[in-house]
Amino acid sequence: MAFNTSLGWHRLRWPNRGRVYALIDTRDEFQDLWRVYLPIGIAVAVIVFGLVLFAVVRYRRRGDEIPGGREGPPIVEGLYALVLAGVVVFLLAMTFRTDDRVIEVSPDPGLQVDVTAFQWGWRFTYLGEQVTVVGDDRRPPTLVVPTDTEVRFTLHSRDVIHAFWIPELRFKRDAFPERDTTFDLSFEEDEMTGRCAEFCGLAHGEMTFDVVAMARDEFDSWLDTQRRAGQIQHGEPG
Amino acid sequence: MSASRASASPATADAAAEHVAGLDLGLLGWIATTDHKRIALRMAIVSFAFFLIGGVFALLMRSELADPGLQLVGRDTYNQLFTMHGSTMIFLVLTPLALALGTYIVPLQVGAADIAAPRVTLAGHWLVLAGGLTMYSGFLTDHGAGKAGWTAYYPLSGNSATPGTGMDLWVIGVILVGLGLTLVACCLLATIVRLRAPGMTMLRLPVFSWTMLATVLMVVMTVPVLAVGMALLLADRLGASIYESSGGPIAYQNLFWFFGHPAVYIMFFPFLGITADVVATFARKRFTGYRPLIIALIVFTGLSMSVWAHHMFTTDQVANKYFSLTSTALVVAAGTEYFAIIATLIGGSILLRTPMLFALGFFLQFLIGGLSGVIVASPPLDYHAHDSYFVVAHFHYTLFAGSLFAGFAAAYYWFPKWTGALLRDSLGKVQFALMVVGTNMTFFPMFLLGYDGMPRRVADYSPDAGFTDLNRLSTLGSFLIALGVAVFLWNLFVSLRRRDPAGDDPWEGHSLEWATTSPPPRYNFRSLPAITSHAPLLDRRLEAAAGRRRRPR
Repeated sequence: MAFNTSLGWHRLRWPNRGRVYALIDTRDEFQDLWRVYLPIGIAVAVIVFGLVLFAVVRYRRRGDEIPGGREGPPIVEGLYALVLAGVVVFLLAMTFRTDDRVIEVSPDPGLQVDVTAFQWGWRFTYLGEQVTVVGDDRRPPTLVVPTDTEVRFTLHSRDVIHAFWIPELRFKRDAFPERDTTFDLSFEEDEMTGRCAEFCGLAHGEMTFDVVAMARDEFDSWLDTQRRAGQIQHGEPG
Repeated sequence: MSASRASASPATADAAAEHVAGLDLGLLGWIATTDHKRIALRMAIVSFAFFLIGGVFALLMRSELADPGLQLVGRDTYNQLFTMHGSTMIFLVLTPLALALGTYIVPLQVGAADIAAPRVTLAGHWLVLAGGLTMYSGFLTDHGAGKAGWTAYYPLSGNSATPGTGMDLWVIGVILVGLGLTLVACCLLATIVRLRAPGMTMLRLPVFSWTMLATVLMVVMTVPVLAVGMALLLADRLGASIYESSGGPIAYQNLFWFFGHPAVYIMFFPFLGITADVVATFARKRFTGYRPLIIALIVFTGLSMSVWAHHMFTTDQVANKYFSLTSTALVVAAGTEYFAIIATLIGGSILLRTPMLFALGFFLQFLIGGLSGVIVASPPLDYHAHDSYFVVAHFHYTLFAGSLFAGFAAAYYWFPKWTGALLRDSLGKVQFALMVVGTNMTFFPMFLLGYDGMPRRVADYSPDAGFTDLNRLSTLGSFLIALGVAVFLWNLFVSLRRRDPAGDDPWEGHSLEWATTSPPPRYNFRSLPAITSHAPLLDRRLEAAAGRRRRPR
């Protein structure tokens, strides 16, 4: 029988070996895993709620007698624990597979953006393009990105810990001072909001940025315009 | 041994009880008492007072969040509110309450005349109270109280990002509370290990005492780490530069969560134990699956020491897969505990009095917290959920909808033992109904808000974000909870004012605390029944029934 690679088991074992790099959509990855976890969780909740309701109705107190409390054989508990362990292994296998794909960075990103978080705003520098966008809590910056491109982000903080979160993409990563962290994201044509997720002081709630994802040629002309205009600033850095 | 002393010479115990009863009238009796029951009640009362204050903070925050924009408090005040709400509920309410219940009940359940080293317990109680007052005194300073979140991540909690004496006082307060909790836990540990009555083997300990044993083990293993982490933070705030290096911020998080995650189980186990005792009693059935439960507790305790970094999946500086594995593996232990309680219910003779309602409320609502916990134990799902309202919903389902409900179960269950009077059952059911509706109305919308991208720890949100309706619902729910708590206060007042005498054993309990008077005498027991299993009083009742010599109570 042929080994069915479409299940992705080879990726589970050798995440980086012998496979062509493809765009990873974090939203799809999240959704696929969510659709595994959520139904299992709901099923367990329904079973337990059902059992308790059943017991409370069926075994409500009717008389004065004390029911015999005979212990069942521990074999039942043992089998039950094995079933739970099986569920755990299954969930972890799915989780690990997805995690490998989400945190993997492309060897050849289509665009590199350096992100500096600070109290309370963001600075996006398009590496090699001489374009920087800065904004703060009063005038949030706009992160413009091309679609269908693996965008490499290098994230760090200038002061306290922040976190770069784009809820629509179902992904966030913390920004630490004196430390770089890198991740790749890909975008579909859309406008969305990103924000700081790690509590960072007074204007934490207003530390947002807009995200505009546009087709590659549109993006390139945007980049040209910015380059000609010199560094743009939507507001003052904090 | 002290336990045998109590059982051997009832006359001495009586005399001692009267002696102490005389001391009652003096203030000194309350301040300097070495009776574990009095210390425990005082710890519980202090916890409850802090619970009311922390609840007011929560209502202020919920009111602020009912509408977009800032109406009630400023951002700086809001930051102090959520910092002090979290610190209060964790350091001053749930953990001390758990230990207070243990301090009262464990010596009784193991058949001891007192707790081991009661003066140390008393010192621990004073340290917790002093720590709480120290934290709160920050409100009197120029910069206000602590405002870096209850987690106080460095560098935000450092001197340059959060200057001011209030933040210093917060750190000092946490250290004092940590020392106090450790002392109380040590006394409980020594009591369980050394002061069990003759015949009370480890496998005859009631479930609640077993859960307390697991709890105090976690306290003594992890709370000192918190105290050290905070002492280093204090040193930094006073001019040292310990966390200032590039690895400092993550080192702080590792130290904090090495305490912080077992702390969650410290606030879970005792309440699971209460639920187990209450369910067995009101199902009139021996707790089923006792040994598997004990094994699960031990496994859980061991694993709890190696799950801390699941709070740090988004830092990119921990082994996400390892911590995901250990955290998800907890499902096996937790599932075994759930199995045992359901097995106890099935085939029982179930009476739905107020303690049972709150215990089942804990059991089912905590499940929602636990299952959402499995979700956030998966790094790719946590990359979205972390620091969002999804997580806020998750831990409120465990700590409020879970542990605190079991706290109320304990209050209704053991109040007759503490005071000799029953709490009103009808008022209890009203409170339960209000709190179930309020709790789910408050916290369930938070799952949806978090999923839709609302971050935690913000005083405001955009009117265009689509968060308004769910936030209003949540705020409405929080006031229903407040109403439920008000009913409880009224119940306390009424029940103490017009006493409904409970007798020694109003619920037909299974464990030894029901084999003595309500409240128990100074040294707990005039005589001890034969300790034949983890449910000795049930054994006695079954024996009597078998011999057709049913005794009138």
